[in-house]
Amino acid sequence: MKFLVAVFALLVACSEPKGVVLWHAYNGDERVALEATATAWNTAHPDQPVTLVAVPYDAFADKLSSAIPRGNGPDLFIYPQDRIGDWAAAGVIEPLEFWVDDARADRFTEQSLGAMAYHGSLWGLPMTVKSLVLYYRSDLAPEPPKTTADLLALAGKLRDRHVFAVAYPSPDLYAHAMWLHGFGGRVMDDDGALTIATPQATQAMTFARSLVAQGVAPEDAQGPLIASMFNDGRAATVVSGPWFIPDIGRNVPWHVTTLPIVSETGKPAAPFVTAEGILMSARAKDKDAAFAVMDFLSGDASAVVRAKAGHQVVPNIHAYDDKELAGDPTVAVFRAQLQHVVPMPNDPNMRRVWTPYRTALGEVLAGRDDPGASLNALQREIEKYTDKK
Amino acid sequence: MSESSYTRVPVLGRQLRDFMFAGVLALVIASAAFVGVRNRELAARQIDLATRSADAVADGRDALPTVHAAIVSEPRISTKHSYLRRRTIREGGKTRVLGAEPHVADDKLFYDAANRAQQGATIAEMLPDGSGRALVAHKAPGGIAIAITAPAAPAPYPFLVFIGVLGLGASLVAAGALVGRNAQRLGTLAGIATLAVPTLLWQSWVAASLILALAFVVAAMQHIGVSDRFARGLVTHRVALSFLSPAAVAMSVLVAAPFVIGLLLGFYDHHQGTWTFVGLDNFTRILSGNGHSLDDPLNFWFILGVTVLWTVANIALHVTVGVSLALLLSRKWLRGKGIFRMLLILPWAIPNYITALMWKGMFQGQYGAVNSLLHAVGLGDVSWFGSWATAFSANVITNTWLGFPFMMVVALGALETIPKELYEAASVDGASAWQRFRHITLPHLRPALGPAVALGSIWTFNMFNVIFLVSGGKPGDSTNILVTDAYRWAFERGDRYGMAAAEGTIIFLILLLWTVFGTRVVRSKEPA
Repeated sequence: MKFLVAVFALLVACSEPKGVVLWHAYNGDERVALEATATAWNTAHPDQPVTLVAVPYDAFADKLSSAIPRGNGPDLFIYPQDRIGDWAAAGVIEPLEFWVDDARADRFTEQSLGAMAYHGSLWGLPMTVKSLVLYYRSDLAPEPPKTTADLLALAGKLRDRHVFAVAYPSPDLYAHAMWLHGFGGRVMDDDGALTIATPQATQAMTFARSLVAQGVAPEDAQGPLIASMFNDGRAATVVSGPWFIPDIGRNVPWHVTTLPIVSETGKPAAPFVTAEGILMSARAKDKDAAFAVMDFLSGDASAVVRAKAGHQVVPNIHAYDDKELAGDPTVAVFRAQLQHVVPMPNDPNMRRVWTPYRTALGEVLAGRDDPGASLNALQREIEKYTDKK
Repeated sequence: MSESSYTRVPVLGRQLRDFMFAGVLALVIASAAFVGVRNRELAARQIDLATRSADAVADGRDALPTVHAAIVSEPRISTKHSYLRRRTIREGGKTRVLGAEPHVADDKLFYDAANRAQQGATIAEMLPDGSGRALVAHKAPGGIAIAITAPAAPAPYPFLVFIGVLGLGASLVAAGALVGRNAQRLGTLAGIATLAVPTLLWQSWVAASLILALAFVVAAMQHIGVSDRFARGLVTHRVALSFLSPAAVAMSVLVAAPFVIGLLLGFYDHHQGTWTFVGLDNFTRILSGNGHSLDDPLNFWFILGVTVLWTVANIALHVTVGVSLALLLSRKWLRGKGIFRMLLILPWAIPNYITALMWKGMFQGQYGAVNSLLHAVGLGDVSWFGSWATAFSANVITNTWLGFPFMMVVALGALETIPKELYEAASVDGASAWQRFRHITLPHLRPALGPAVALGSIWTFNMFNVIFLVSGGKPGDSTNILVTDAYRWAFERGDRYGMAAAEGTIIFLILLLWTVFGTRVVRSKEPA
């Protein structure tokens, strides 16, 4: 009998979770920090608890896209900005202007909040901003390269020792974007029109190819390989994001600095910045309660916890009133890099760009294709898949 | 007298049995009609209430007592953030900001409705939360007039009506049965038709005609004896049917339904959550190459060529390697057969995506194991994913590693069944080793290898994991096969599920043709 009651209770618990359900794809320190802030909420609001559900990142977006329109899925979830356009158009996420006034909005940097806006509405509250920076080993590069000319000079010194001056996932548009923007190019303009085949983009691609051709950077390095190259001293610098820190070996004398200035244009190399935000399902059960939770989890106090324990770069302006955070040199570099970034477009068409761009860039880096011709073909191909406006 | 009562009972039973069968179907139809009609009526009534209230507040009058109605102001857009806007609501002589705390019930509904009605269109709909509340919003002097009704429950399910007509119908059927002869069919017809009476009252003509048609069909089936035969079949095979039914349910849910849905999706275009019927457009786009020339790796025919080459190369290698190893393992002099067999089956036992990822790492240009080996024996590095031939070979090598154990196991099984006397007789006749293999072993392997090749070719044709994980289409999409291209349509070219489904259908048709005709070719070579 007791067993039956237990089974029944379990079924009830599964079918109708109490309070607010939040899906996230965090692990490691980020997860611990998020859980700490959720516990703080639950202690203060036992009647309206938040339940965190960790969902693997690979399947995250597709699960949401299919679950929410059928009335399933979470009330809240944490995701980068790039799907906001899709989800807003498909009615998967809830606009937040009803709850958000200027006072609330002013908690965040304008850029990070702007990344959560699409088509004149606000769709999320930013939790963290992520961009690439330059990691360097002080034993191999005592003076980190401030310009791309410095980078080439460094490569000259390291060539005999078979050490790459810089390692980064070169065929990936996400990484290549730093050169693209540094040469003055864009992937799409503010109206969402593709600007792939431009002279600036050609210059950027030609530059990236010269890095590979001259042995400054490896041709096709991926995440784990880049980490092992840096740790084994086969690469003096690495371009990567905050997620790279846990991969660095214990005895590596590493430091971070902002990305170099592109000597040809005098402009700083500007990576994409992505804001990761907490978004609300359009089918959330109790939307006022759900907003209260997201307001708390993205608030200044929670942001300080996530910045300290989870090593996140938080977009809350007043979080840096905290002395410990303000004095952290690594955090200072990430914040300095945010002065020279380009928000990753959250236009739905952006998702059609990544794979073809990587294919084309890979061909150019391998020397099999000419940058100008390849970009022209690329723009034509992607336009075939994009929606006519 | 005694004889007639002896025959009448089964007649009555049969009549009632057919009536029950038809009655269940008719009840389902009538219930669906009832739900549709009552929802329509409820919506019409509630929307009418809301419309009158919205018009009233727009004119400065009071709304109907049970309706929550008010004027919501035009938005005030934040000067700092262009995507933030506040609205105020005026009710009971007071004005307050929507969204300011504490939240009042319905505030969010008012705010959202005002945003939607801002463009000028009138909104009149039921709230999607199932509460039976209606929402009407339209522009009015001073802002947007919005009205939301109180919840309302739809009319209850008419159990009594249905029980009544069922009873009436059953008595008509019984009466027909007792009168006998042609009155039996008439009774069935009238009895089932009675169930259409409530749908006529709800003015649901489609449901009424469906039930009448059902009545005619059942009466006709009775007349020609189909219903009897069907019932007898059910009774005779009830054990078999009860064993089959779980599998039948599972197959229809897990195989048939997704299959049919997949076929249908191919005729639709998906765009940001909405589906549009486009007929054969997806198919013509794919088959015409979608604007890519024949030598372009994105052209369907190019990909099909790669896919066929991929399948043929793999099957040839799987069979050759598998049969050779099976022949080795079946040698009598070989010691430790169990260990070798286990080792050789290992590639099959490891999940294939793990194997694919391991091979991808081994083919890595600078630090991969394959190039390190080539280096050690004095050969230069190969940029495996740099050219089509090497990338394709890398895929084939990986898939051969994955695929030969299956052929080996099949061949090993078949070798066991070859009678030793045949070899002995051949030896006595002076046949060489090659002749023994050519004329004894090979013909005996064929019946087992035929189906294995057919099965293996279907697996290989759709071997997503190896292509996607090892070469990933490199260089420049040229090593993609049809399934990986379909994946691109679904997940990397903007959720074009329709195109992906159409390509899936084409793959299915190709494999169907191959299994119907191709395997016939394989089988025709069997020794008579």
